[in-house]
Amino acid sequence: MSTTVAGTEPGGTATDGRATLSPSVSAQIVAMSRRAILALARQPALVIPSMIFPLFFAALGTSAFSRATRVPGFPEVDSYLDFALAGAIAQGVLFGSTVGATALATDIENGFFDRLLSSPTSRVAIIVGRMAGGMAYGALQTLVFVLVLLPFGLSVKGGLPGVAALIVSGTVLALAVGALMSAMAIRTGSSEATQGAFPLLFIALFFSSSFFPRETMSGVYATIADWNPISHLVEGMRDLVIEGFTASAALRATLIPAAIAVATIALALRALRRRLGAT
Amino acid sequence: MSGLDAPTPARDVADTRLLDATIGLARRNFVNLTRLPSAFLPALIMPIVQSIAFSGTFFAIIQLPGFPTDRSINWFLPLAVLMGCGFAGVGLGFSAIRDLEGGFHDRLRLTPAPRLSLVVGPMASAMIRAVIATTTVVIVGTVFGARLVHGPLGLLPLYLAGIGISVIGAGWALGLAFRFRDMRAAAIMQLTLFLALFLTEAQTPSFVIEGWLDGVVRVNPFNNILRLARLGWLDPDMTWSDTWGGLVAISALGAFTTAFARRGLATLSDQ
Repeated sequence: MSTTVAGTEPGGTATDGRATLSPSVSAQIVAMSRRAILALARQPALVIPSMIFPLFFAALGTSAFSRATRVPGFPEVDSYLDFALAGAIAQGVLFGSTVGATALATDIENGFFDRLLSSPTSRVAIIVGRMAGGMAYGALQTLVFVLVLLPFGLSVKGGLPGVAALIVSGTVLALAVGALMSAMAIRTGSSEATQGAFPLLFIALFFSSSFFPRETMSGVYATIADWNPISHLVEGMRDLVIEGFTASAALRATLIPAAIAVATIALALRALRRRLGAT
Repeated sequence: MSGLDAPTPARDVADTRLLDATIGLARRNFVNLTRLPSAFLPALIMPIVQSIAFSGTFFAIIQLPGFPTDRSINWFLPLAVLMGCGFAGVGLGFSAIRDLEGGFHDRLRLTPAPRLSLVVGPMASAMIRAVIATTTVVIVGTVFGARLVHGPLGLLPLYLAGIGISVIGAGWALGLAFRFRDMRAAAIMQLTLFLALFLTEAQTPSFVIEGWLDGVVRVNPFNNILRLARLGWLDPDMTWSDTWGGLVAISALGAFTTAFARRGLATLSDQ
């Protein structure tokens, strides 16, 4: 059996080592995505925290920081809730993507991943399927956050196009983070190590403008937040909420996570090649 | 020799055994700390990261009129200490679950060690962990700009609050561990402590808070403990009126969680 990323195609037809997106590969991706989504749906205890915690922090922040929106440098907002939505989406997607990657690591630990590799399943489908599950969950999280917070006074100035852009942004961010954490899962083969990498995401989130504007930070924090790509994608999402739908905001909200996704998918595929080479 | 002629000094031995067993169990937990540092490191690293990240992210809140300090890290460091100490205590609940799942706890209960020592021993260990966590966070926080406003005496309420919250966390976690007997309890232990500490003046003072949180903060006893921890780091003078509420909250919650753990252990022993 080939040990390349494309590997042996269903039916035993050997490829030249490059992935060919035949309908059967697409069908496999759909099947693997379905499995990933069902796995999340069947273990609500694993995913509920990534749904509840961002909402809790948004509610907490709205009550605690409502007067803080008057400090110099804070953008004009109707309420802190409008400001907090983008950060809540980023937070939820980051947390949720860790769950999917941990499930992948668990597959490796209990041998299911090896059984998949020994079956005539495309290698790409194994990875992409898992990420597609995470993307679907990221889209669902974004929609749920908007719908839950609307009755509490959230106002999305971008309207329906703004909400649609937010959902696309949440989906692509889930792909980017899911691929990064999958790379970690494939490389270590340990769910504990994958979970252990979570604090790095926490740090990346807090050293950005997810919860407070960069204009109010100073010193090294402001410098880190300036360089942190999460700041820029969150600000794109935030502008869709507090300023309205603009091409600039939509592009920042979607292209920045897309660029990150390109790099992290490459990392995940490289980790997979290494693992296949090692086995 | 018949049972009726059993040596009477056994009662004296039992009297000293509580202390001996408590020290022994605390020592075991401390040895586990050195053998499995990964179980304690998060409780050490998390408050450091939290105090630095929060003070940087929410730096601007010190510009609010009437804010009780001009250093954001002075505001967030005590919160981070309480988080670290609370989770250090909760970590003893994780250890109890491991012992229950591995059968070691069954063997512990078969020994003549007084039942209370199975609760007090881990709590003593939680206190040691709290002292380590508090000292580490204070040292790192000082490097990052935190300053005691009222001199070294300001450390006393911080350590009292940290040790208190570690005992509360340990009692609560042990009680849940004895009732659930598996890792399902872990999420509840962490989540409840997290909520209890965040539903306070964790991020901003009460005069800044608006809406639903204001009402919750007023009735949450953990807010008194947080106020106690912050006494030495904020500009207003340290007064008894700001101190006793925290001490009462620690005593009441400590007694409640110890009883909760003891009753949980009793149900476990009845099985």
